[in-house]
Amino acid sequence: MTADDAWRLPPWWVLLVAVLLIVCAELGGASMVRFKLELARWARDAMLARPAVHGLVGVRDVDERILDEALVKFDAGLRLFHLHAEGMGLVIIATTSVAATLGGRRAGRALIALLTAGGAGYPLGYLLWSALIPYRGIEEGKAIAEWSVWIPFGGATIVALWWLAGLVTLRMLRR
Amino acid sequence: MKRPPLPVVLVALLLLALGETAGAAMSQLRAPLERWSSARVDANRAVHGLSGSAEYDDEVRARTIFLVEAGLSFLHTHAEGLGLVLFFTSTLVASAVGGRRWRALLYPPLTVGALFPVGYLVYSVAVLELGRDAGVEFAERWVLTVLGGLAILGLLGLGAALAAGRGRA
Repeated sequence: MTADDAWRLPPWWVLLVAVLLIVCAELGGASMVRFKLELARWARDAMLARPAVHGLVGVRDVDERILDEALVKFDAGLRLFHLHAEGMGLVIIATTSVAATLGGRRAGRALIALLTAGGAGYPLGYLLWSALIPYRGIEEGKAIAEWSVWIPFGGATIVALWWLAGLVTLRMLRR
Repeated sequence: MKRPPLPVVLVALLLLALGETAGAAMSQLRAPLERWSSARVDANRAVHGLSGSAEYDDEVRARTIFLVEAGLSFLHTHAEGLGLVLFFTSTLVASAVGGRRWRALLYPPLTVGALFPVGYLVYSVAVLELGRDAGVEFAERWVLTVLGGLAILGLLGLGAALAAGRGRA
C-alpha cells in the first residue's frame, strides 16, 4: 500500500472532538429518556414564570395550548441535537480524513479547521434553542440560535464541503 | 485503511454537501420555496385537479407543498446518511476485499446506489409537475427503487465478498 492510496488520519484533536460529540449525542439521547419528566417540568415552570414572553393570558384553555406547543418544540430541539450530534461526529471523521489525505497542506489545514468547528458547533445550536425556549420563547430562541450558531457553523461546514469536493474534482482532472 | 478511487470519494463528498445545503435551504428558503411550489401547482391546474373553489384548492396546495417539503427533508437526511455509508463501505471494499475484479464489481453499485437521495429531489419536483400520486409513483418506480435496489445489491455483494473469505482485513 503506497502513501497515495491510503487514508491519512486527521490530527488527534479532531478525532477527539468527533468522539466527544458522539458521546454528547448519546448522553443527550439517554438523558431525554431518563429525565423526560424533570426536563418538561423545569421547562414548564420556567415558562409559567415568564407569562409575557410566551403570551400567556391566565386562561387555562388558551395557556395550556401555548405551553404544549412550546414543550413540543423544546423536546424537538433536544431530539434534533441528539440526531445531528451523532451524524456530525461521523461527518467530521469522514470529511477531515478526506481533507487530510487529499486537501494539500495549507488548504487541508483550513478545511480541517472549518469542518471540525462547523461540524461540532452546529448541533449545539439545537441545545441552545431548547435552553432558550423557556426564557425567550420559540421564535426569539430560534432566531438567536440561528444567527449565533446555525448560520456561522452550518455555513462553515457547507463552504468546506463544496471546497473539498472542488479540490477532489481538480485532483481527478489533473490525473 | 486504504482509500477508494477518487470518483467514489467525490460522490460521497457531493452527497454530504448536497445534504447539508438542502437542510440549510429548507430552513432559510422556506417561504420562497412555498411560494414557488404554490405557483407550480397553479401552473399545473389540470394534474392537481384544481376546481376553482378557493377552499378546496387551498387544501390541494397545502397537501402538495407538504409532500414537496417532505421530499426535501428526506433528501437532507438520506444524503447525509448515504454519503457516510458510501464513504465507509467503499473504504471497507478498498481495505478488506481482496482481488481487483471483486472491487471493480462492488464500487459501481455502491456508488450509483448511494445517489438514491437524489430520488427525493425528483420526488419533490415530480409531485409539483405530475400531481401528487403520479409524481410519487414516478419517483418511486424510476428513481428510488432503481437506485435503492443498486445500493442493496452493492451491500449484499460486499457482505458476500467478506463472507466468502476473500477479505484480507
